Order: sequence, then C-alpha cells, then structure tokens
Amino acid sequence: MKEKLDLILQNGKEQIEKCDNLKELDEIRVKFLGKQGELTAILRNMKEIPAEERKTVGMLANVVRENLEKALSEKLAILEEEALEKEMEKEKVDITMPSKGVKKGALHPLTKFNNKFMDICVAMGFTVIQGPEIDTDYYNFEALNVPKNHPARDMQDSLYISDNIVLRTQTSNMQVHAMEKMKPPFKIVCPGRVYRNDDDSSHSPIFNQFEALVVDENIGLKDLMKMIDVILKKLFGEDVKMRVRPSYFPFTEPSIEIDATCQMCGGKGCSLCKGSGFSEVFGAGVVNPKVLEMSGIDSKKYSGFAFGPGIDRSVMVTNKIPNIKYLYRNDLRFLKQMR
Amino acid sequence: MKISYNWLKDFVDIDIKAEELASKLSVSGFEVEEVVYQNEHLHDVFVGKITKIDKHPEADRLQVCQVDVGDKKVQIITSATNVFEGAVVPVSLDGADLVNGVKIKPTNFRGVPSEGMFCSGEEIGIDENYIEGGGVNGILILPNDMKIGAKIEDALLLNDVIFDINVTPNRPDCNSVIGIAREVCAIYNKPFKDVCYDYKTVNKKVEDYISVDVKTDKCPRYMASYIENLKLTRSPLWLRARLNAVGIKPINTIVDITNYVLIEQGQPMHAFDYDNLEGHKIVVRQAKEDEEIAVLNGNTYKLNKDDMVIADSKKPVVIAGVIGGTNSCVQKETTKTVFECAVFDLKSVRLTSRKIGVMTDSSLRYSKGVYLSTPIKAIKRALNLVSTLNCGDIVSGIIDVCKNKEEKERVIYGSISKIDKILGVKIDGDRVLQILNSLGVKSTLNGDKLTCHVPSYREDLECDNDLAEELIRIYGYDVYNNVDGVAFENSSVTVGAYEPRLVLENILKNQLVDDGFYETLNYSLYSGTACEKLLINDERKNVIKIANPISEELSTVRTVMAHALMLDIKFNLSVGNKDLRFFETGRVYLPKELPLKELPIENNRLSIAVCEDGYDFFMLKNVVENLLITTSCEYTLERSTEPYLHSGVSADIIAKDGKKIGYFGKIHKKVLKNYDINHDVYYAELDTDYLASLPEKKFAVKEISKFPVVERDIAIVVDESVTNADLTHAIKSACGKIFDSVELFDVYRSEQLGENKKSLAYKIRLMSEEKTLTSEEINAVINKVLKGLEFRYHAKLRV
Repeated sequence: MKEKLDLILQNGKEQIEKCDNLKELDEIRVKFLGKQGELTAILRNMKEIPAEERKTVGMLANVVRENLEKALSEKLAILEEEALEKEMEKEKVDITMPSKGVKKGALHPLTKFNNKFMDICVAMGFTVIQGPEIDTDYYNFEALNVPKNHPARDMQDSLYISDNIVLRTQTSNMQVHAMEKMKPPFKIVCPGRVYRNDDDSSHSPIFNQFEALVVDENIGLKDLMKMIDVILKKLFGEDVKMRVRPSYFPFTEPSIEIDATCQMCGGKGCSLCKGSGFSEVFGAGVVNPKVLEMSGIDSKKYSGFAFGPGIDRSVMVTNKIPNIKYLYRNDLRFLKQMR
Repeated sequence: MKISYNWLKDFVDIDIKAEELASKLSVSGFEVEEVVYQNEHLHDVFVGKITKIDKHPEADRLQVCQVDVGDKKVQIITSATNVFEGAVVPVSLDGADLVNGVKIKPTNFRGVPSEGMFCSGEEIGIDENYIEGGGVNGILILPNDMKIGAKIEDALLLNDVIFDINVTPNRPDCNSVIGIAREVCAIYNKPFKDVCYDYKTVNKKVEDYISVDVKTDKCPRYMASYIENLKLTRSPLWLRARLNAVGIKPINTIVDITNYVLIEQGQPMHAFDYDNLEGHKIVVRQAKEDEEIAVLNGNTYKLNKDDMVIADSKKPVVIAGVIGGTNSCVQKETTKTVFECAVFDLKSVRLTSRKIGVMTDSSLRYSKGVYLSTPIKAIKRALNLVSTLNCGDIVSGIIDVCKNKEEKERVIYGSISKIDKILGVKIDGDRVLQILNSLGVKSTLNGDKLTCHVPSYREDLECDNDLAEELIRIYGYDVYNNVDGVAFENSSVTVGAYEPRLVLENILKNQLVDDGFYETLNYSLYSGTACEKLLINDERKNVIKIANPISEELSTVRTVMAHALMLDIKFNLSVGNKDLRFFETGRVYLPKELPLKELPIENNRLSIAVCEDGYDFFMLKNVVENLLITTSCEYTLERSTEPYLHSGVSADIIAKDGKKIGYFGKIHKKVLKNYDINHDVYYAELDTDYLASLPEKKFAVKEISKFPVVERDIAIVVDESVTNADLTHAIKSACGKIFDSVELFDVYRSEQLGENKKSLAYKIRLMSEEKTLTSEEINAVINKVLKGLEFRYHAKLRV
C-alpha cells in the first residue's frame, strides 16, 4: 500500500510539473484528488486495510494529499501569473499615441501676470479694488493735482466723451476713489485698463496699469523702496537689479521711476531696452500732500505712497513675447503657447 | 532737449567725462537719453595746406598733391577740381572713419601712392550754413589763417559733446543751458558762474522809436528794445558752433543771437524788421476771426480769437510764441530791428501751436512755461551779444510792459523732522543746507525749522515734500541700498483681500481653461457698426461715442461683448486656426441717458464663444451649467430674446428675482453672414457683477440613506412639443417621497414612431430613507408615473 501511495505521489508530482495550462492542471487535480481520483479511492477503501496498518496508511495518504495539493496550488499560482502576463502583453498600448479628452486651454498672459502681482500685494496686506474706467475729469485729473493746463488734459492725449467725462488715462483715478471711500490706514491695489489717444506700432490706445496706494501714519520713501524691492524680486526673480531715477508726476512728490533688469535680455542689452540692460517698470512716489487734502485726508497726520506700473510691457518681457501687439490679437497660435 | 557740454562750461568749471556727467544727471532727475560726441568721426582728420600740385602721369582726371599737415608732409591723389596750390583743406589720413562710412587707408592710384583724402564739408558733417564752402560739391576750402596740422575738430570747433536730456514738466527752467548748469553745480557742489550781461548803448531813447500796447491778458510781460545800423553778417565761428551743436541752423548775427539766447537762457525771442512794422507800433492782441498770416515756414494760416498775435498798427506780424510772419522778419537788407522778449500764456501758445500743427523751439518752450523774470536777463544777454559781435547800435532803454514787475521773493518753511519722515532716511543738517544752497535756494536752519528763499524760476518748490525730493535726488537714491529694515515697519498691519468679483472670475476662468478654453483680450472700444452687425435694436444701440476718436474702428465704447469675439473667430479662421474655444472677461458701458450727463453703468461680463466641428447647444449648456453651479445662483431658462442668437437654439438665464443674467446659444445665421464666418458659432454670456453679488454658496449635507437605490428605465413616446422639463417634472411629482433622481439617457425618432413624435428614455432612481423598497412598491410607483404621463402628455410606453 505504501508503495502504491508513493507511486501516486510520484506520478502526481511529475504530471503537475509537466503541466503547462490551467485546464490540464484541473484535470490532474480531478484525476488524483477528485471524487473518482486515485488517492480518494484509497482513502475510501480504508476499512479494507488491516486495522494495525490503517493508522500509518491514513497518515501517509494525508501526507501524499497535502503534498499534491501544495504542488497543485504552487503550479496554479505560476500558471495564473503566466496567463495574466500574457493577457497584459496583449493589452499593451502605444503610449506615444495622443491622449483623449479635452485639452486644457490657457489664461491670457496678462491675467496670469496680474494674478501673480495681486497675490504678492494681497499677501503684503493690500486690498484689491476695481472702479470706473469712464470717469470725470475730477477723478482722473483734478483730484490728482494735474493742473488744468497740463498737456495730458488736451484732446490730443486723452479720449474724451464730453468736456467733463473722460476715458481714464491712468488707474490713478482709483487712488481718489479709495481715499474718498476708505479710512486710513489702508493699502489698495487696482489692476485695470486705461485709455490714451495714441495708436502706433509701439503704443496701444488701450493698455493696462496696476495702481497701488498706501495711506497711513509714518509712510515714507523708504517703505516704497523696500516694498518695490520685494515686488520686483517676486515678479522677476531674486537676482533682478533695480535702478532709481527721480521723475515727475503731479500726484506724487518726491516722484521716481524704477528701472529693473530687462527681462527680455536678462540685462545683457537688447533692442527693447536700447542696450541699457534696464527697462522702466514703475512710476512711483510719495503721495503729494495736496492730493491727500483734496480727498479729505489730513496730510499732517497721514502720508502715503503710490506706484503705478504699466503692465503690458512686463507681460511682454516676462513671456518673451516678440511683439506687443500679440497681446490683443487673440491668435490661437499665440494663446496656445501660454498653456 | 539738446545741451552742449562746451556751453555748460561757460557756467560751471567742470572737466569730467561726458558719460559720467550724463549718468549723474540721470540719477538726479534729468534723464540723459543720448550722448553724442561731435568728433566721433573726426579723428585722423587734420588741417592741411596743398603745397604743390602735379598731374597724375597715368590719369588725366587725377592730381597728385603734396600736402603739409604740420609735423609731416604727405602725398594725396585727388580727383577734386576745386583744389589749388596754397589751398587750406581738411585732410583725412590713415585710420580716419568719416561720417559717411568711408574709412581711410593709404592706397595706390595707378602706381602712385596716396596717403589719405581731402574732405568735403559733408564728409566732416557740416554744411554751407556752418562754414563757407561747407556745402560745395568738392573739397572744403578752409580760411587761410587756420593752423596747419591742427585737428579739424579743434580748428572748426567740432569738439563738443551733446546731451539729449529729458526735462520733466515741473522744471521748465531747465529747458536752457543755464538751468542745466545750475543742476550740474548742485550735483558737483561747484559755484555757478554767470555770463556777462553788459552792453553799450547810443544816446537815443527806445520810446522815440517804438511803442508796445498789450491788449490781451495772455501776455503777462512784453519787453522790447531797438537796434539800428545793423551789420547782418555771418556770426563768428564760436557762435555758429554753439548753435550747430544743438541743431540750430546759423543764419546771421541778429537771428543767431535770438536763437543763442533761446537755448542759453530758455527765453524765446523774435527780431522784427523795424521798417516793416507799420506805425512803428507793436500790439499784442487776440487774432480777429479768420485773420490770416503768412509765416516763415512758407504756409499761411487762418486764425481766430483763441489765437494770440503780435501785430503792428495794421496787420499781424507774428503768431505769438509760435512763429514769425514773413512780412516783418529780419532779412539781408534789414538795417534796424526790434527785439521781442516776452512771456505768453502757455496754454494759449500750446493750443495754437497744436491747432495749426507748427512746433518750433519757441512754441515748445512757451508750452512748457517761461517765467515772468526770464525776459529781464535774456534781453540783456541778447544786447550784450549785439555789443560783443558789434553788429548794431543799441538804443538806450528797454520797453517793459508788465503788470507785476515787482517780484516778491518767495520764502517757504520746512521741517527737517518731517523731511526725514518723508524720506525714511536722515540727511545731516549741514548737507541739507549745502544741497539747497547749491540749487540756488538760499536756506538757513534753526533747530528743526528750515527757511528757504526760493528763486523765481523754482515755482515748483512749495512744501516739505518738494524739499525732500530736492535733497534726495542730489543726495542720491543709492542710500536706500544700504538702509536696513522692511516696508511698513512703523505703520499699521492691514489685512489683504481680493475684490469678490475677481475671485469669482478667476474660479470661472480656471474652470473654462480646464475645459479647453483660451482667454482673449480685446479693446473695449469698437466701430459704431457693431450693434448693426449683431442685429441689435434695443437700448444697447445707444452707445457712448468718443468725442475725439482715434479712428472709426475705435469710435464707440462697447455695449456688447460679442462683437469682439466674433471678430476674433473670423480672424482665427482666416489664418487657418481651428477648434476655437474662447472666453473673455470685460465690461460693457451702458449710458443712463445720452448725451452722457452722469457716468454710465459699467457692467462686467464673461463671454464665451466656440467655433468647433461637432460642437452643439447642449455642450455649451453644460459649460454654462458648470459655471453657474460654482455660484449660489438659482435660475431658470427661457427661450432667448437675444437678437443675435438663433431663436430656436438659445436660452436666456433668468435669476430668481426675474433678472436676465445671461444667455447662451447658437449665433444667428444672418449674424454669421455679417461677419463673413461660414461655420456655426456658439456663444454665451454671463453677468459677473450679478454673480459676484450673490451670497457665498452654502452647503447643508443630508444624511446618506442606509437603504439601496433602485433603478427602473422607461421609454415613452410623446409629441415633439412636450419638453424634457415637462416630463421630468411630472415623473418627480408622481414618484413622491421615494423619488431620488431622473435622467434622460436616450432620444429617438423614427418613421415608425410617426411624424412629430419622439421617444424619450429615462432612468428613474427611487429610494426610501426608511426601508428597502419591495418590487411591489416600485412597480406601483412606476405605474403611477406612466399613468400620469399618459394623462398629462398622452405619453405611450414604448415597447
């Protein structure tokens, strides 16, 4: 009997070993361990075995069964793994084929730049506000200390609706609106469109500015310089260099122009910066006390600073846009490059 | 403005590199846009004398000249015909690089060596006005007395450096050599040395020759003097050199003197031919209606009462401050002249100058402002030059018509501590005084109090801020590079925030970008025909017109967003771009009444346009729904009344309060035709001001049922007129409490169903919050649904 069992084990193992598909493996299982299987037959005929041998044979038969089951399950795992491999091999795709579904579009570079600029300012405690683009002479000029006979007020430079109503020529009108509505201390920024009576290869009649105004006690030129230093670094990178030139704006005194490393050429000098390596980014200054007073703010107690860069050129240089007119042409071939 | 370095040196002892001076001027507020070296192309050009001329042995047209160039003798071959033995000429030698690009090297003409070239006036950058012979088509023959071997730049005074300076409008006093010189003195802390203003007169009285009558309030000062026995010759070279350096053509002594004073003192002047002043009278008045005057640029202009003229007893002789008339100008034959040295209202001059389109050195200066005191020195300087050049006899006395001759010295008071606060850095008191005094502002300091005596030409100085600027620009902004600290260290903490509409817009924009849309940027001005093209015939036709438009294309302020996007689509299709999904945020400007009395409503909109194969209304609807669900907006849809949308394939979005807050749909065929677009376009627009005004979207989450949801599909056949909304609403109400959701998943039409019929298939989900539904309960509800649909809409179950 023992020989018989050994033979079953040996045959079973051999067949399992040779087997290379799941169907055959199942047949082998049935042949040895199924209801009509060879081992089952032995176990079923146990009572015919002499009692003294029965225990030994029983144990032996169980060992054989366990061994076969183990061999079967090991083989099963191998074959299943192989089958899966094959299936996956069949499902293999060409990963270089195009993706499906809607391709992402893009924000306009101006929006991206404005968003970045606003984020920097909001983090520094500024509130973003918006206001009228069509405004009265008072908000656009007079309350900003632009004298009545200033050339900017001529029809040649501004677009007028009527004698008293003008398409704002600067976002600085928002300084006045803010000063009238808000109580110091406050810090505001206002990105927005401005209009000029100007249309040629390097000027758009419509362009964008980004006004900022701070009114508080103890605000001075140093605050302005330190803040602009931070802004330039965040906008253009830590290694940006800054240059200050005194300038003139009716609503600030002292007034300055800030130049920063030309982002088009990285400071090497190019046609855009006329070889200087710098390009003008901000007009800025300490708010003229007359302007504070006109809007009802006590200039003895409060002071402020303001800056108002044109955005279009910065958008151009930070994105290496070769022609400023691209910004308003809405050519998909341009917009797609902004993804 | 062009400023000559040599001229500056008349007023300040300075000898530093021009580039360095330029950069110092720039950082102190006078931006130097360009530095031009007059001698850039004059190196290796010398004064030479032709000692001997021989014929070239091989060429008839060439002459072999022996030339003395001081320390050496050279041989030069020339083809020029105007040279002669003994002629003094400019000689360019090896290394010269002339203005016209010619580079000189020793060469060989048919075997005979030539070591250089003789130059024409043009080749050294000058013309007949600058020097006699400068304009001839040949070699420039120089005066005999020039030093042989001298550098040509020294001999012809072409050794100047010219700065092109951008003077800010608050400093009209610096549109002059004298003004810039004062700045240079301050920058380098040097004393200002003035020129001479003395002159000799003959013992006659100016009043006996000329009278001045000012009949307008736009001429606060008019000064005049009279000179007779004029010698109108070429001015001396030094004077011509000065004028030439700053781009002014030398003409004759008297005209050159007026120009010299203009540049040096910043005071425009005019010289009349006395004999052509009828009645020997000068009248300053407003022009008469349609009064005409022929002027020096060759044109005749018709003026009106807004323009100011200088007239004699009969006719206008000058357009005040702008340009002189031909009828009274100084000419070759002129023997007596009247100098005008006046102040005119800057706005008047600017407007006239712009109206007639004539910009002169005079009008530019008047437009920026000439001070009441400027003529006093200027006219004396002019007379001093007349004396110096000995070109006429100055009659004693100067007429001065001026209401406020007495100039009061202006004193302002400043506070050092206030200035420190403005600057955020401290400048030592001694340095403060030194800077202000060097700028001509005589100042003293007593404790914190600064007392400043402001000269008349510094009208811009009024308060601490002005003083602070003067100090820091001379002290140097570099100081901030070395100051520690951060912004706002002595002021309040404020909390930053975005405007709600921008927050919403950014959410919506990013959502659209994820859905394949590109953001566009269009002008908010457009052509007056936009509404017509869009078939708009409502109040949006009342557009705000610009009074002084740049062009028809930019003549009105937009009341509709769609126009620009239609043009964008047209443009993109025309260049071969396809699959266009665009959006834009922007404003429309809606007047409350026209003409505009108060400011218009500026309404922010989000507009969306799609031009893509296979796109349809429901895809656009999905875009709009997804945008709106981000907000708390509750809305219904109605058939759209937008004239530029397809009436059957468009919807208006109506908010709970009845306001139309947007619309979407297919663009009307006629509109496509108007824009010459031969592809369907889908368009949507939302009122972002309205959406941003809504309260923030709030969430109150319901408990999720423990019991399963069951699904049943039904397909029913109804008339075309029955809408999905009708049916889903009926299904919902029939299901009652156990309704979970209903979804249309198929629409089918066929001949079998019959004309005007459609089959709609719905997936109905039912669920109880209390128990698992039995199939009996479910069947009962579905039967109720079907009966209800049959009763209300004659719906038949499709089998």
